[in-house]
Amino acid sequence: MQTGFLIHSAVQAWARKTPDAPAMVFGGEMQSYGELWAASERLAAALLANGLQRSDRVGVFMRKGLELGPAIYGTLLAGGAFVPLDPAVPVERLEFMLRDCGIRHVVTTEAMRPVLQALAERTGEDEVAPTLYGVEGVPGFTSVSPGDLAQEPAAAPAAWITDQDLAYIMYTSGSTGEPKGMMHSHRGSLSYARWGLQHVGLTPEDRVASHAPLHFDLSIFDFFSTSQAGGAVVLVPEAVTKFPASWTELVEKERVSVVFTVPFTLIEMLERGALDQRNLSSLRWILFGGEAFPPKHLRALMERLPQVKFTNVYGPAEAPSCTCHDVQSIAVGDESPISIGTVSVGSDDLILGEDDEPVGVGTTGELCIRSTTLTLGYWNRPELNKRAFFTRPSLGHFPDVYFRTGDLVARGEDGQLSFLGRKDRMVKTRGHRVELDEVEAALASHPSVFEAATFTVPDGSGSRSILAAVSLVGGRALASAALRQHVRDKLPPYAVPREITIIDDFPRTTSGKIDRRQLAQASDPSTDVPRP
Amino acid sequence: MTIDEIRQYIQRELLLDETAVIEPDQDLLLSETLDSLSVTRLVQHLESQLGVTIPPEDVTLENFSSLQAIHAYLGTTEA
Repeated sequence: MQTGFLIHSAVQAWARKTPDAPAMVFGGEMQSYGELWAASERLAAALLANGLQRSDRVGVFMRKGLELGPAIYGTLLAGGAFVPLDPAVPVERLEFMLRDCGIRHVVTTEAMRPVLQALAERTGEDEVAPTLYGVEGVPGFTSVSPGDLAQEPAAAPAAWITDQDLAYIMYTSGSTGEPKGMMHSHRGSLSYARWGLQHVGLTPEDRVASHAPLHFDLSIFDFFSTSQAGGAVVLVPEAVTKFPASWTELVEKERVSVVFTVPFTLIEMLERGALDQRNLSSLRWILFGGEAFPPKHLRALMERLPQVKFTNVYGPAEAPSCTCHDVQSIAVGDESPISIGTVSVGSDDLILGEDDEPVGVGTTGELCIRSTTLTLGYWNRPELNKRAFFTRPSLGHFPDVYFRTGDLVARGEDGQLSFLGRKDRMVKTRGHRVELDEVEAALASHPSVFEAATFTVPDGSGSRSILAAVSLVGGRALASAALRQHVRDKLPPYAVPREITIIDDFPRTTSGKIDRRQLAQASDPSTDVPRP
Repeated sequence: MTIDEIRQYIQRELLLDETAVIEPDQDLLLSETLDSLSVTRLVQHLESQLGVTIPPEDVTLENFSSLQAIHAYLGTTEA
């Protein structure tokens, strides 16, 4: 028996109530709630038969496809926690994540075979090899093939978990040079899902595009808010996300009504989406987040899509959707940054100055959040957890846990929060969080590299690109392409610097530090370098 | 424009790696050879080299999925 308040309970309920309604749509094919739930039950049965214990981590390693829903809900139903593994991630990083959170089960697809084989070659006969589900035998692994899965009983297995149990772990860039996994409970995920459900007023009629990859937390809204409502998730193939005109074609063809994505996608859609050729009348709500939306582009998009409501959603993956702002209109010529709004239901903000005391209206400080959506903490990172979280009496009552976002904000006279930058060296590139320290660590790990520095410049589409400069160990020669390949083997594609320049000497500040501002200005004279 | 010329541009300017292996029928998108920014740069390059305008609605998955596909698409615009 499971309680009624788990993430997958809604899927089970809709599978009973409207078994034929579409739950997932991909490449012209549809998976109904009944089919989704039956496939989830079969995977759950297989996971339990292979020894899955409560809160065991299950890797989900696949591209977008109809196998994705069962992988997520089957894992949850069995009492496990899913860990999205970026299908584009280098093998070395994949191995790191498998080891870091002790993944013993991976749900995958035939398309991932080459990477799995490369993984087996790296690790050899090793305790790291997880059981694979969804592929025919891969040497070095125990496999449960699609045929075997189809033989499993479609009956809900009993897994004794509560809403405080782990639902998923999401990996993100870590400043130490290794990614860090943040843990979310069923309760926290449900809170995020229900925020989306209520804010957007999702119904069974809605068709929500899932544009972000699964390892990007916007996908949690796509999957879980939509399944709360009994609506359909329209999975956007990775390749389509690279072509604005193909993406808008899909919105029209699949009658997408809601999308939550990053500003970069929307700006590309505006500029290269062939909007003149498309009928996007099905769209009713666009949520965006991950980075700032330049107001002139947003205003242009709002003019092109007058029937659509627009919401700026703020929230690090540690505390999703903790503030939001419905954008009503933007005056011509108004270039003031789009506000991140006010706290959402179930969240509370505290803005702390340098002395860790709350600051008043108009003063910049670090945004600290307590929220029903808050992460349980970082997996296996006790030191990081000590720094990122603190306990404090809330509103003069009982103590509660706050998260330090690292984001600098100020509250205006009208109560609205403005985002003013970062305390540290985390940057956003097309919505993805990247710790520049991690990129520099990857560059510096090459034996010929003496020092490495990274910086960002505008990419012309409202986001920023990462560039790098390195100096070499005396007497060594190294081609930029070879170094790039070295970094590609360590970092996800979006974190690989667009250009790597090999230089003799770095410009220095008076204190002797590498002058990254000067490097950025040399690469792009128009650049305004954000605070370090 | 030949397949080799398109390949060389992608190697030199987008991948910054002249030794990168790209087969004519290789899927440029799933293999992460191209991302959306590099697609835009490729389109701009093709437009300036060939003196044509590639309308946004033609910049699609079907037309840009591989070197062969790009070459075949350009054949339809150059006519």
